Amino acid sequence: MAEFVLFVHTQGQPGIVEVKVSETVTESELFRALETTGVLGAGEVFVFIEEADRHIHPHEDRPVIGIHHGARIHLARCHHIRTMVHYQDRTIERNFSPGARIRSLKAWAVREFHLDHKDAVEHVLQISNTRERPVSDTPLHVLVPVGSCDISFDLVPEKRVEGSGEYCSPS
Amino acid sequence: MSTAALPDCLSFERDLAAIEFRCGQAENRWRHITTTWPHSVIAVSAAPRPNSPTEYGFRFECNGYPKVPITCQPWNLSTDAPLALNKWPTGRVIVPSVFRPGWKAGQCLYIPCDRISIQGHVNWPNEHPHRLWNPARGIICYLEQIHELLNQGDYTGALSS
Repeated sequence: MAEFVLFVHTQGQPGIVEVKVSETVTESELFRALETTGVLGAGEVFVFIEEADRHIHPHEDRPVIGIHHGARIHLARCHHIRTMVHYQDRTIERNFSPGARIRSLKAWAVREFHLDHKDAVEHVLQISNTRERPVSDTPLHVLVPVGSCDISFDLVPEKRVEGSGEYCSPS
Repeated sequence: MSTAALPDCLSFERDLAAIEFRCGQAENRWRHITTTWPHSVIAVSAAPRPNSPTEYGFRFECNGYPKVPITCQPWNLSTDAPLALNKWPTGRVIVPSVFRPGWKAGQCLYIPCDRISIQGHVNWPNEHPHRLWNPARGIICYLEQIHELLNQGDYTGALSS
């Protein structure tokens, strides 16, 4: 039977852990594989597949929906992440799955703020009160410390890379 | 990998085998083509655009890795030579600010994580802190930025498309 390699993200942590499971893995089997790898830790943890809103259950014998070779698995302490985005004088808010990627958040923010194409490509999400701009593939919950289920971003202009001073003479 | 146990070569080899790099390969964000130390050729996928490739090759020069930032130039995977300047990726605002064929005769990208381009740009650490070289993340930090540029709405395809 073929084996899937899964990439596991844990809330509040930047790294990835690898887990191997059978291609027909059930929800309970996936939980056991995660326990064996030692990534579940203490306390209640919800396991999500990719950007799914619904978490899987440790005692269900049904096949895991949405799993594939290279899938990302998310171990979160939250059912969802309450997400705020600030742009100019407006703020929007909604709940996202812990595994939602930054790309999905930005697409939502662009829609809600009615940015045209030009403005959309010239703005990026920056975590509020930091200078951190996660790349669009980043899962949301890795940016949220354990103990919190909230995060706030600012939609800020992305500067062109340009020089200044006498050393710089790009064409 | 073709060579002896140089510390920088070993560090690079370790990072190519690391989960973060393999995760990118599994998601078809990039793929390792070949390494002949100190050069490594890696293809990075690009969003579909008319008359443009679905991936671009890049040759990284990695001497001193990861303490010393690396540098890279677009690379033609078919001919194993620098990519013709008219085949470079481009875009409307952000992408062409990084992919500048006229900068250093096309030997590197105009991006703060690049070893050659960062020289003399005293404003970049303050203006682009998220684009600086990060030894702890190594090649991933450069690849993520290239992938991000080639997969955003600003990217319009190859220059001559």
